Amino acid sequence: MIQAEGLLKRYGSKTAVNDISFTVKPGMVTGFLGPNGAGKSTTMRMIVGLDRPSAGSVTVNGKPYAEHAAPLREVGALLDAKAIHTGRSAYNHLLAMGATHGIGKARVNEVIGLTGLESVAGKRVGGFSLGMGQRLGIAAALLGDPATLILDEPVNGLDPEGVMWVRQLARHLAGEGRTIFLSSHLMSEMALTADHLIVLGRGRIIADAPVAEILASSTRTAVKLRSPRADQLAALLQGADVTITTTEPGALTITGLTAPVIGDAAAQAGIPLHELTPVGASLEEAYMDLTQDDVEYHAGSTATITEEAAR
Amino acid sequence: MTAAIATAVPNARLSAPGIVRSEWIKLRSVRSTVWSYAIIVAVSLGIALLIAATSTFGGDIPAESQTSIVLQASTFGIYFGQLVVGVLGVLVISGEYSTGMIRSTLTAVPKRIPALLAKALVLFVTTFVVGLVSVLGSFLVAAPILAGQGIEADLSDGSLYGNMALAALYLALVAVFSLGLGTVLRSSAGGIAAALGTILLLPTILQLIAGLTQAKWAADLMPYLLSNAGTGMYTESFDGSGLEQWQNVLVVLVWVGVSVVLGAVLLKRRDA
Repeated sequence: MIQAEGLLKRYGSKTAVNDISFTVKPGMVTGFLGPNGAGKSTTMRMIVGLDRPSAGSVTVNGKPYAEHAAPLREVGALLDAKAIHTGRSAYNHLLAMGATHGIGKARVNEVIGLTGLESVAGKRVGGFSLGMGQRLGIAAALLGDPATLILDEPVNGLDPEGVMWVRQLARHLAGEGRTIFLSSHLMSEMALTADHLIVLGRGRIIADAPVAEILASSTRTAVKLRSPRADQLAALLQGADVTITTTEPGALTITGLTAPVIGDAAAQAGIPLHELTPVGASLEEAYMDLTQDDVEYHAGSTATITEEAAR
Repeated sequence: MTAAIATAVPNARLSAPGIVRSEWIKLRSVRSTVWSYAIIVAVSLGIALLIAATSTFGGDIPAESQTSIVLQASTFGIYFGQLVVGVLGVLVISGEYSTGMIRSTLTAVPKRIPALLAKALVLFVTTFVVGLVSVLGSFLVAAPILAGQGIEADLSDGSLYGNMALAALYLALVAVFSLGLGTVLRSSAGGIAAALGTILLLPTILQLIAGLTQAKWAADLMPYLLSNAGTGMYTESFDGSGLEQWQNVLVVLVWVGVSVVLGAVLLKRRDA
C-alpha cells in the first residue's frame, strides 16, 4: 500500500510533481502512466526517499519508507536500470545490497535464477546490455521479498520474451496480494498488465481509475478525414463538444461528431472529402485523450487552424 | 513460470553490522581497491629498498638518530601512499555517484548517514591494515640493509613501533578525509583534484607565498596543513613547527572531521 498526500516537488522554478494525492492498493497491478517528463520517476523516487518532497508526504505500508526496520522487505524498487556500479559483478552487487539486511547467498542465488542471470552473474555489470541491466535491477528489487514492488519502466530494453516475463511476474506477485506499482509511457503495455491506472500529465493526476473504466469513459468514437480544404472544414465543424486535431496537413481527427454529420456538413459547404473513417477508441486513444490537454502541442495546433480559417 | 518468490527472508532487517558487511563487499569487489592497495605496498617496499641501499652514512651517529633513520626509511612509502588513498577514498563514493549506484545504496539504507559511516569505517580499517603491512614490510626490507652500514634501530624503543602505527593511522585518516571530500563534491574528477590539491598543492603554494612575500601568516599556517601535520604525526624530528605529536594527530583529526561532517550533512540533505 502506497499513500501519497499533496505530494509536490519543485526543481528551481519548475514544478515536476504538482500537489498529487493517490493510493496504490495491494493485490493488484497499478499502472503509472504519463508522457515522458510527466513526473512519474520523480514521484517514485520520492516514495523511497531518494528525493525529498517540497511539500506533502508519502507513506509505504503506513510509514515513511525510511522509518521501516527492513526497507528492502517493504519495498523493492527498480528506479533506474543503471543504478549499479559498472565495475562490480552482478553477484557481488546483489550480495552487497542484501548484506545490509542480512540477506545471504542463498537468496542472492535465488533471485539470480529467477531473473535468468545465471550465465552472467560473475561478469562485470559494465558489459551488460540494457536488457540484462534491467533484469539485474529487477533481481535487486526482489531481494527482500518485498510486500510492495515499484518498477519504473521495467520493460525498457527487454526483448519480447523479457517483456512477457515482466508482465507475468507483475501479475503473479499481485496475485500473491502484493502491491505492484508499474510505470510506463506506453499505454499498450499497461492495457496488458495493469488493473488500475493512475495517469499523470505535467505533474498532475489526470485520471485515477480502473482500466475498464478509463476505456469506457472514452468510447466516443473518433472520425478521421482527409480533405484538401481541411482548414475550412475544421472551422466549420468547431463546437463545444468537438475536438479537432491535425496529425498532418490535410488530415483531421475529430471526436464529438459522427461520420454522417461531418459528411453532410462537408457536402453542404461544397468541401471535397478524400477520406472519412470512423474509428473506435482504443486504450491508446483513451490515453491520448487524457493527456492531450497536458501536451502543449495540441492546444497550439487547434488555435492555428482556427486562426487560418478566420482569414 | 514457477513461483517467483520461493525462499522467504522473514528475519531480514537493516542492521549496522549488515551495512558494514555490505560496504566491505563493495570495497573488495572492485578492481580499483585491489590495485590501489597493491601499489601502496609495492611502492613502499621499493622506496625503502632504494633509500636503504643508496644512503651512505659517515661518522659517529647517535643511537637515537639511528632509530630515526630506520623509521624514516620504513615510513617513506606513506608519503606516496597518501596520494593513492587520496584518490581511492574519493572513488569509493564518487564511483557510486558516477554509475548511479548511490541510488541503490540509499534505497537499501534510506537513513543515509549509516551508509557513509560504514564506508568510512571499512575504508579506515582496511587502509590502516594496508598501511601497517607496508610500513612493517618496509622496515623488514630496510632495517637489515641499514644495519650493514652501521645504522641500527633500537628495537627496545617503544616509540619506534608507536610511530610506525601512527604512520599507518595517518594513511587511513587521509583515506577517510578523501571519502568526505568525494561525498561533498559527488564527482571523481573534482574530488580527486580537491584531495590531491589539499595534500600536495596547498603546502607548496603556502611555501611559495611565504618565500616570496615573507608573509608570516603563511609560515604560521604551514604546520596546520593536512600533509604537514600528518608527517608530524610519525616523524618527531621532522619539523621545527613546535607542534607536539599529539597536536599533529589532533590537527589531522580536525581535517578529517570537517570533511566527513560536511559530507554527511550534504548527503542527508540533498536529493540523490
